[in-house]
Amino acid sequence: MTGSAQMEGQTGNPSLGQQAELLAKKMQEVRSEISKAIVGQTEVVDGVLNALLAGGHVLLEGAPGLGKTMLVRTLAQAVALKYSRIQFTPDLMPADVIGTSMVQEGGEGKHLLGFQPGPIFTNLLLADEINRATPKTQSALLEAMQEKQVTVGHTSHQLEEPFFVMATQNPLEMEGTYPLPEAQLDRFLFKLRVPFPGREDLHEILDRTTAGAGQQVASVIHGPEILEMRRVVRTVPIAPHVQEYVVKLVLATHSEGRENLLANKYIRYGSSPRGAQTLILGGKVRALLEGRFNVSMEDIRALLLPSLRHRIILNFEAQADGRTTDDLLDEIAGKIK
Amino acid sequence: MRADLKATSQGPDFGNAGFSSELHGLLDVLLSVRKRILANTVLRRWMKSWTWILAGLIVAASISPKLAWVVILAAILAGIGVAFAMAWTWRARPSAYEIASRVDSAAGLRDRLSTAVHFGVVEQPDAMMLRQRQDALSRVPQLNATGLFPIQFPASATRILALAVVASGLFAYRVYHKPPIIALLQSTARSQLVQSILSPITNAMEKDLQRTVALVNTELETPADEVHPGDDVPVADDLWQPEKDKGSKADAKDAMDANFGDPDKSGNPDQNKQGDMKSGDQQQGDPQQSQDGNGNEGKPGDSQQKESQNGSESKSLSQSLKQALKDMMSKSKSDQAKQQADAQKSQQGGDSHQPPNADSNKKSDSQGSSDAQQKASPNSASGAGTQQGSKDLKKDQVSSPDPKGTPDRIGLEATGFKEQTRVRVDPGTGTAKLAVRDVTTQGMVVTNGAEQENIPARYRLYVQHYFEHANSDQK
Repeated sequence: MTGSAQMEGQTGNPSLGQQAELLAKKMQEVRSEISKAIVGQTEVVDGVLNALLAGGHVLLEGAPGLGKTMLVRTLAQAVALKYSRIQFTPDLMPADVIGTSMVQEGGEGKHLLGFQPGPIFTNLLLADEINRATPKTQSALLEAMQEKQVTVGHTSHQLEEPFFVMATQNPLEMEGTYPLPEAQLDRFLFKLRVPFPGREDLHEILDRTTAGAGQQVASVIHGPEILEMRRVVRTVPIAPHVQEYVVKLVLATHSEGRENLLANKYIRYGSSPRGAQTLILGGKVRALLEGRFNVSMEDIRALLLPSLRHRIILNFEAQADGRTTDDLLDEIAGKIK
Repeated sequence: MRADLKATSQGPDFGNAGFSSELHGLLDVLLSVRKRILANTVLRRWMKSWTWILAGLIVAASISPKLAWVVILAAILAGIGVAFAMAWTWRARPSAYEIASRVDSAAGLRDRLSTAVHFGVVEQPDAMMLRQRQDALSRVPQLNATGLFPIQFPASATRILALAVVASGLFAYRVYHKPPIIALLQSTARSQLVQSILSPITNAMEKDLQRTVALVNTELETPADEVHPGDDVPVADDLWQPEKDKGSKADAKDAMDANFGDPDKSGNPDQNKQGDMKSGDQQQGDPQQSQDGNGNEGKPGDSQQKESQNGSESKSLSQSLKQALKDMMSKSKSDQAKQQADAQKSQQGGDSHQPPNADSNKKSDSQGSSDAQQKASPNSASGAGTQQGSKDLKKDQVSSPDPKGTPDRIGLEATGFKEQTRVRVDPGTGTAKLAVRDVTTQGMVVTNGAEQENIPARYRLYVQHYFEHANSDQK
């Protein structure tokens, strides 16, 4: 019996530590399965897995053809979750997303008004090009993303856990799009930018997709396991100075403080408290994925950009000066110790 | 649990007894690390105090003529610095949690130790805390505390060493030399450049001082300028009226001028030549006559009572002026007599025709060589030589008479220094007009003694002091 197992026996909860070790092992298997279909994009894959275990949603931003949809489909296969895809268009209606009540034929020739669930009733939802739908349709996702339920008429329908939304948007073709409102942006745990693959990755992509058939992705983890992992993630301890670091970072994005000169100059609205929650939850997942059992400052720094870049609204001066949220967050992180 | 943890603002410290027994190995490592951190902190603070002490030593050795107290003070400050550095370091000593955080940063342990220490005081840790603690303890044997936190001199040691070398050299220099800053300042003060800058300033200051003294003396000597109700207060237009209205006032000024000892304007030179006392008596009577005349010849519309009041005030003014002048002259004569007597004593047995000293030489300038013994005698204090000398001096002083014929200048009390042969009085400078209420009798003060351009400015005060001391000794 190892020392840790002995201690776990003393506390009466022998499975938690083992589950943490199991989580890291399982996630490594998921990574390897995803890598069968996705070449490179390590940070994006890690971010998606992190959000999946933290219980959040991911907004993927990248040019067309970079494998966003492929990533979501592969992930759904690897984790053995129900997967559905909605192509957001300007004429897409909320009922097309969440479902609607329809007259259904019941027994004995009666007709009943029954609810026909929409594609949102799944475990893994791909909202492709979400910014092409109208704000009305976009808002249909708000309740589902936060409360994990949808309300039609006077009836609320609970979504099946785990519910994980992966939305994509194209940063280039902005004409005819409806930028996501801040309230909906804030509901995404991470905003991941999908970079263009490098030379080696591009060669590998060509080799895999133009010669022979692709490899089959196996399911290595299931929905209940993911839910158990989410519970384990929340038990990871975080030291006070790390948490204080998170608070400082979030407060530094607000222009209220007299000492936040950068925020005063360039930021119109800073991060919400969800940003701090994201940093800590993501840090816990990252610590477990790296085989640690505590959150470190490095975890926070690594998750700073995907956690806060979509929660900060720049002012006109920042746009005029060509500053981006990533620049400002890097600068803020460099100033705060 | 969170509330318990928040109770320790700096995190759990070594003194807290609530640490889990599993963490003893980790705490031992952290204690040794803390000793090294404290040692480095004390060294750094002590070196910082030494920087100030050495700088103070250098400054003190540069300007202070005595070094013994400086060395003693430096030793005391060094001791205090050590004690203060140790006390302050111990007071602000880092807690175990802070030490663990530093070790995490230094060893790249990603906050494993600090998290374990922080949650090491939790009485009922969950499995994840225990797993984390085990993870942290597994890293402790690989820690190299001495390598991560070596005891080393601070980066300022080189600077302190350089300061120490400078201070030592300065003290070695001071064994045989004066403070270099003082010597440098003295040499700078003697330089031509500084002299050229400061000389006009010194002259101006001397003039201002003399004017102030003269003004004070004049104010004391003219108390009768008060205007009483019913007095004939001259209006400003009277100043611009010609001689018809100023005739009486001019007479008054003539009388005052006579009081000041100008024999040419008093109209009675014989009495002035008879001596100071006699001249003073004579002058005391003249203003009365003049004032009486003024009252009779003044404005015909004034009443007799006002005339009598004006006459009495003018009389009191002239009496006070005469009294002050008499005191000044008698003092000056007595000083001169004492100096001459000393000169006579010092030159007994020598050539009697040789000028005894510069003072007597000046006074007998108009008569050629004078008998020193005669000057030294008390009866000859108001003799021809002395009288003529003072007359010449006052001619120099009042060299620019009032074009209106009104004597409006007051001679200052002459000192021995001012009567030296090398003194060249500039009539244009050192003159100040004194504004008084009675605008018809404007007091004008002539100062001299500060225009001795032949004497370098830096020696003038010394010469002045020399003669003042000589005068005081004679008294």
